[in-house]
Amino acid sequence: MNVTVFGATGVVGRALVPLLGEHELTVVSRTAREEPGARWVVADAASGDGVAAALEGAEVVYYLVHSLGTRDFEEQDRAAAETVAHEAANAGVRQIVYLGGLGADDPDASPHLRSRRETGERLASAGVAVTTLRAAMIVGKGSAAFETILGLVKRLPVMVTPSWVSTPTQPIALDDVSRYLAGVCGNEATFGEGYDVGGPEVMTYRQMIERIAVLLGRKPAIIEVPVLTPYLSSLWLNLVTPVSASVARPLVEGLRNPTIAREERIRKLLPLELTSFEEAARRALA
Amino acid sequence: MTGWETSERVLESGGFESRQRVLVAEPAVEASEAGARTLGVTYWQAVDRFTRGCVRASWTGGGGKLRLLGGATLLTFGPPELSFEGGLVSCRHAIRGGLLAVRAGGSVTLAQRRQGEQQELSVTVEGYLPRLAAGAGLPPWTGMLYAKGQSPFHVAVSWRYFELLLRGRGA
Repeated sequence: MNVTVFGATGVVGRALVPLLGEHELTVVSRTAREEPGARWVVADAASGDGVAAALEGAEVVYYLVHSLGTRDFEEQDRAAAETVAHEAANAGVRQIVYLGGLGADDPDASPHLRSRRETGERLASAGVAVTTLRAAMIVGKGSAAFETILGLVKRLPVMVTPSWVSTPTQPIALDDVSRYLAGVCGNEATFGEGYDVGGPEVMTYRQMIERIAVLLGRKPAIIEVPVLTPYLSSLWLNLVTPVSASVARPLVEGLRNPTIAREERIRKLLPLELTSFEEAARRALA
Repeated sequence: MTGWETSERVLESGGFESRQRVLVAEPAVEASEAGARTLGVTYWQAVDRFTRGCVRASWTGGGGKLRLLGGATLLTFGPPELSFEGGLVSCRHAIRGGLLAVRAGGSVTLAQRRQGEQQELSVTVEGYLPRLAAGAGLPPWTGMLYAKGQSPFHVAVSWRYFELLLRGRGA
């Protein structure tokens, strides 16, 4: 099968590409690289440059692109998704596989989560069947949300945290979400469907911080206060973690929304043995 | 959403039972662990949303606390007991104490139950001993804070919960 991956240089894209080795692969990024066994194409979904060429002959397209970190990320994400959707329809693509966010369907979703939902809607706007996998935090090296938590644990012996640390979430290992993504490739039963992909455990962010701290041999004191706004939190995260405020703020705003799987259909479709949080975190820390 | 009903009574044990329910045409959650968990998570989300974040649940591995403004612990709960069998999906939390409970006892159960062609969504608090209710042998006005405050608050949260649950499903 001819498969094109947009966002191949991102955290998820890098983990996914090796799993698609049995297919004729075209990997797409905004800068030229080399990938053994794959055709590399330079394209920019936001501007549309090179998108048509990247989709030539494609049957399945992975869309792993986002503009988080830019001022108008919502608008950019909408435009990029529309461009790819229309070019995919023109190229006769049969399936677009999209990684969205858990909690994005919440009517009170944050701008970041809302953008993830709208991106999925725009991808489906030109008639190509979209398969959406919805995930919460991805536990893996380079994942912005995970690196944020990690930065907090590594650098702060005492944490004054906002109330979002009590929000439940269902993080998933990078390896697992990549295997799910690869598993739906070309599977007609998944065309037009959406699946919640959660890890094996539900926990609060506070519990996550505590469990990462145990792995790192630390014991931070956590003081929860109800009055820390997302803006203040993001400035603070900018100071103490490697994640910039422009990325941290939309992420933090999204943390007030519970991000848990509402259904488990993917477990029946692709019965994978899921990686425990500790194991996923250990791999990310290695 | 039809068939809204709310009721409250005092059991022989002295505990209170409060129940709210609605009927819906389609299941709000699937019959699975994820579905049962969604009932619980959505309920605590409803408390948060209804109080605009003033009352919020926080969880550890051993259970949860319902806290006012991040400080006073109003109620404490056991971990979720999830069930999904025979047309019933439920999430139950034992009530373990807190400022609003005389002592540990009772539970809150969020459930989805098949009822003929429809599905019943319910919130049931049973065996709960509210501190603010009138004590045995005391005049009724001593329970005013419960009757005019906590009880209608709980009913309103249940309504918000049903709304949230159905909005989540429809999205």
